Amino acid sequence: MSMQQVLFAVILIGLGTYLFRAGSLSLGSRVKWPDSAKRWLDQVTPAILGALLAPLILTNHSHLVIPWNNAGFIALVPTGYIAWKTKHLLWTVATGIISYAIILYFIHR
Amino acid sequence: MTSKSWIKKGIRDAFPIITAYFPIAITFGVLSASSAIPNDITFLISAWIFAGGAQFILISLAATGISFESMVVTILLVNARHILYGTTLGAALGQWREKHKWLFAFGMTDEVYAVASGQAKSGLPTPYLFSLMLGAYISWVAGTLVGIWLGNIFPASITNILNFAMPALFTALLFNAARNRYQGISAIIGGLIATIGTIYHENSLGLVAGSLLGATIGFLLSRKNKEA
Repeated sequence: MSMQQVLFAVILIGLGTYLFRAGSLSLGSRVKWPDSAKRWLDQVTPAILGALLAPLILTNHSHLVIPWNNAGFIALVPTGYIAWKTKHLLWTVATGIISYAIILYFIHR
Repeated sequence: MTSKSWIKKGIRDAFPIITAYFPIAITFGVLSASSAIPNDITFLISAWIFAGGAQFILISLAATGISFESMVVTILLVNARHILYGTTLGAALGQWREKHKWLFAFGMTDEVYAVASGQAKSGLPTPYLFSLMLGAYISWVAGTLVGIWLGNIFPASITNILNFAMPALFTALLFNAARNRYQGISAIIGGLIATIGTIYHENSLGLVAGSLLGATIGFLLSRKNKEA
């Protein structure tokens, strides 16, 4: 994607996000949303995160990679454990980066 | 309470958000600057979109061969949850002037919403919510600037390792977002479809289809279970 396209995407995404926030806040006191719409939206974020994460760790250049040969996949084990235990963004990211660095060190040794 | 004391309370309540945002924004700045994104666009992403998870997804997608349309659709889908926040919080802002609602909306992130909705029962006057939101915003933008500066001086070996911050952050967000079995199912189905898409060189389609189908199947299963 060219930088011009990225810039245009940033402007559109910012505008859309703002309209989601402002429109719903403004309508919130007047309109009642159907329960099913709320529950579908509740499922969207986990689905997107799954869809983003899985290809990052399961594929390399469009090929499936064997999990135990894959530094990212191995590093995800302690990362996932800390995420599950602490539910803390920063601890999880720190654990991820440190485990990834250690695993890369052993692979390239 | 006077306006002044509400402002003080807003800043006090913003403190945990400020301390959490600053290092994450630095990470964002470093990753964005060390990928091919120019500094001014990195700054604009934080200052204009102001939505943590979505920003990381944006720079991660910009580095892949994904299409412009899929990128915009996916990230807007990620941010569609803000509609939920607005509708629930909006009910507590019935007394607010319309102009103030539209101003505050700019800074209604997940964390600002979480703190604000916890406070909703004891009242949400404008000085309180504005200081809460501004504290979070300043911390996020300042952290991004520090990150941009660091990203430009870090050697490639360090930014290579820091790249894992992205999957690690997605993992953290996923464990925060998937609180029940059906959300877990949505994530797994989304992941499977997106991976199949990637293998067949259809990354964009896989991502959008995985997100929509994953969410819909998880939703239908949860509904079926509720009816049973």
